Amino acid sequence: MKGFIAFCLCTVSFLSFGIEQAEQIFKQLAPSLYQIKIIDKASGEKSSIGSGFQITADGLIATNYHVISSYARHPQKYQIEFLDHQGKKGELSLQSVDVINDLALVKRSTEMPMQFFPIAEQAPEKGEELYSLGNPHDLGMIVVPGTYNGLKKESFNDRIHFTGSVNPGMSGGPVVNQKSQVVGINVATSGNQIGFLVPHDKLQALFDGYKVAPPASIEQQMAVQLAQNQEKLFSTILASDWTIKNLAEGNIPIIDVPFLRCWGESNADKTDALVLVAVANCALDEDTYLSSHFFTGAMDMEFRYMQAKELSDLKFYHLYKNRIRQAGSGNRAGKDDVSEYQCHHDIVSPTDSNNINKAVFCTRAYKDFPKLYDVLFLSASLDKNNKALISHFTVAGISQDNAMAFTKRFMESVSWN
Amino acid sequence: MELIIEEISRGHKLLGRHKFAQQNIRIGRGYQNDIILDDPHICPDHLSLDFNGEHWVVTDENSINGSFLEDGKRKADQHIVNSGDVITFGKSQIRVVFPEHPVAESVAFSPFESLINFARQPIALVASILLFTFVAGYIFHLEKTIDVPFTKLFVPAIGMTLLFALWPGAVALVSHLTKHDARVLSQLGIAFVFYNLMWVSDIFQSIVSFNLSANWPIAGLTALIPMALAFCLFWLNCYIGFHMTAKRRLVVSIALTALVFGGSFIVQLSKQPEFRAHPQYDATIMTPSFLFASGSSVETFIEDSNRLFSKATKAAQEDQD
Repeated sequence: MKGFIAFCLCTVSFLSFGIEQAEQIFKQLAPSLYQIKIIDKASGEKSSIGSGFQITADGLIATNYHVISSYARHPQKYQIEFLDHQGKKGELSLQSVDVINDLALVKRSTEMPMQFFPIAEQAPEKGEELYSLGNPHDLGMIVVPGTYNGLKKESFNDRIHFTGSVNPGMSGGPVVNQKSQVVGINVATSGNQIGFLVPHDKLQALFDGYKVAPPASIEQQMAVQLAQNQEKLFSTILASDWTIKNLAEGNIPIIDVPFLRCWGESNADKTDALVLVAVANCALDEDTYLSSHFFTGAMDMEFRYMQAKELSDLKFYHLYKNRIRQAGSGNRAGKDDVSEYQCHHDIVSPTDSNNINKAVFCTRAYKDFPKLYDVLFLSASLDKNNKALISHFTVAGISQDNAMAFTKRFMESVSWN
Repeated sequence: MELIIEEISRGHKLLGRHKFAQQNIRIGRGYQNDIILDDPHICPDHLSLDFNGEHWVVTDENSINGSFLEDGKRKADQHIVNSGDVITFGKSQIRVVFPEHPVAESVAFSPFESLINFARQPIALVASILLFTFVAGYIFHLEKTIDVPFTKLFVPAIGMTLLFALWPGAVALVSHLTKHDARVLSQLGIAFVFYNLMWVSDIFQSIVSFNLSANWPIAGLTALIPMALAFCLFWLNCYIGFHMTAKRRLVVSIALTALVFGGSFIVQLSKQPEFRAHPQYDATIMTPSFLFASGSSVETFIEDSNRLFSKATKAAQEDQD
C-alpha cells in the first residue's frame, strides 16, 4: 500500500512537473511566437492563418510554406501580417521558401535586437518529451506536450512522427525540446495524437542558404527545388531494384523502395460478379503543396487483372473498355497552373515478349515552372479473349527525361507470366 | 379552243383540274357556274373567261373583292390570258393553261427505286426491324455490368425501335398531310435499312480507331460515314414522300443533315469546359480478332510520346500570353 501511495505521489509530482515546465517554456518563448495571417487586399479580411516563430534577433520568422502559399503564388492579391503575443500587428515580407519541406522564411522590421528561438543542433532521442506551440483554430497561443517517435519510415522527404495533437492553425509553429531549442516545425496531422513535423535540419539548411544568398525570385527558387526533388526521387527509383511479382496471371513490377507503399484488393468473395478483378496499387505517400488547388510530386501506379467468368468475349471487352476509358490525373491543378493534356495512343508490342497492348501516354506542362510536366500512362493487354491486364501510372511534376525513362522501364516490366 | 383551268392552292399545289371545250367559262360561288368555288370571299358570279375568236379574255363580273393577276396587284379584268397565267380572287387561285402548254420532261426511275421496292417488301421490312431491335438489345446487354434476364433487355430494345420508327412515321404523316402518298412501308423500310447501316458504320469506325495510332489523325474522317448515311436517308425520305425537283431534294437533305450533325456539334461545343483537367484520349479496344495492326515497338511509342512534351510546353506558353 505504501508503495502504491508513493507511486501515486511520484506520478502526480511528475505530471505537475511536466505542466509546470510547459508553462515555463510558454512564458519564456511567447514573445518570439507569432500568429501569421494572409490578408486578402481587396476585402481586407484574413484568408488563412498559421503560426510562426522568430529565429534571428533581427526579425526573421520561420513558418510553413503552405501558410503563406497564397501570397507566394499571387503576391499582388495578398499581404502577410503577424500578430504577436501582445496583440501588436505588423507587415511581413517573404524572404525564402522550401516547397519540398513546406518551410518559409518571412521577415518583420525590428528596432532593437529581439529574443528568438535557437535551432537545435541534434535530433531528439526516441521517447524524448517535446512541446509543440501554435495557435489552433485561431483560439490563441497554446502549448501541447508530446513525444518524439523518430522519423516516418515511408516518407521520401524526412518527417518526424510526433505523438501529440497538432491541430489546424498550429502549422508553422515550433516544436521545442526541454532546452527550448527548435527540433521541428508543425506541418501536418493524421488524426488522433499523430502529428508530423519537419525536422530542424531542413530549417537550418534553408536558413544557411538564405544567409549565403537570399533568392532573387521565389518562383525561380520553387522551380529549382521542384526540379531537384524530382531528380532525386527518380534517380532513386530508377536505380532501385524492380522486383517482378505475380498479379494473378500477370507480371507486374514492385519497386523496392520504402516510400512507395502498396495495397491490394480483389472481388474474389463476390460470387455474382461477372468479372474477377484483382488490383495492386503502389503510391508515394506524400505530395508537394503549391497552393490550395495545385499539388505536385505525387506518384501512383495501379495494376488491374480482370478475368471473365462465363461471359462472351464481346461483353468482356466492352466492360474492359469502360474501365480504361476515364483515367484521370493524379494531382489537382487548375487552368492557371498547367496546360491541357496532350495524348498519344498506339498498339504496342515489346520486342522481347509476345504481348500486345493498347498504350496511352498523356502529358501536360506547368505554366510557372519550366520543364516540369504531369504525365499519365495506361496500357491495356489485347492478347487474351477473356483476360486482361491493365497497367497504369500517374506522376506529377517530372522532367521529360525522367518521365520517358520511367515509362520505358515500366512498359518493359509488365507482361503475362 | 380548249382551255384547262387548274384550281391551285396559295402554295401552287394542284387541287383540281378542269378541261373545257366551250367558248365561255364562268367561275363563282353560285351553282350555275362551270367552276364552283367554295370560298366566302368569292361572289356567286365572280369571273368569266371568254374566247373572242383570237384570245381568251378575263371579265370580272363587278365582284366585291375583285380579281387580280398573280404578278403584283394588277386587276385581272379585261386581261388577255397567256398560257400559265395565275388569277387570284377571294382567297383562291386558278391557273389557266392552253392545251399546247409545255410540260416538264419525264423523269426516269431513280436507281434507288429497286432498293426502295426491296425494303418495303414485308419480309425485308420485318427482317430489318428485327435486326435493329436485336442489335439495340445486344448493346443494352453489353452495357450491363451484372447479369440481367432477357426480358429486361427486350423492353428497352422495343422502346428504342419504336423511337426510331417515329422519324419515318413523321415523314409519312407530313407527306400525307401535304396531299402526297404516305407510303409508310417504304419510309419504314428505307429508314431501318439505313439505321442498320449506321450500326455497320459504328463497327467500322471502332475497328479503324482501334487499329490506328494517334499518328493517323485520318481516323477522324470515318466520322463522315454516318453523315453520308444520314444524307442518303433524308434524300430517300424526300424522294419517296414528296414530288420535288432534284435540286430542292438535294438542298432539303443537306439542310437536314447539317441540322442534325451541326446541332449536336454545337451542343457538344457549348458543353465543353473552359479547361479540361482530365486527359482526352481514344480508348477504343475490341476483342483480339479485330486487331489487324502489328503493333509498334516500345522505342517507337516512347519516341512518339516524346513529341507531346514540346506540344504541351507550347500550349502552356500560349495560354499565358
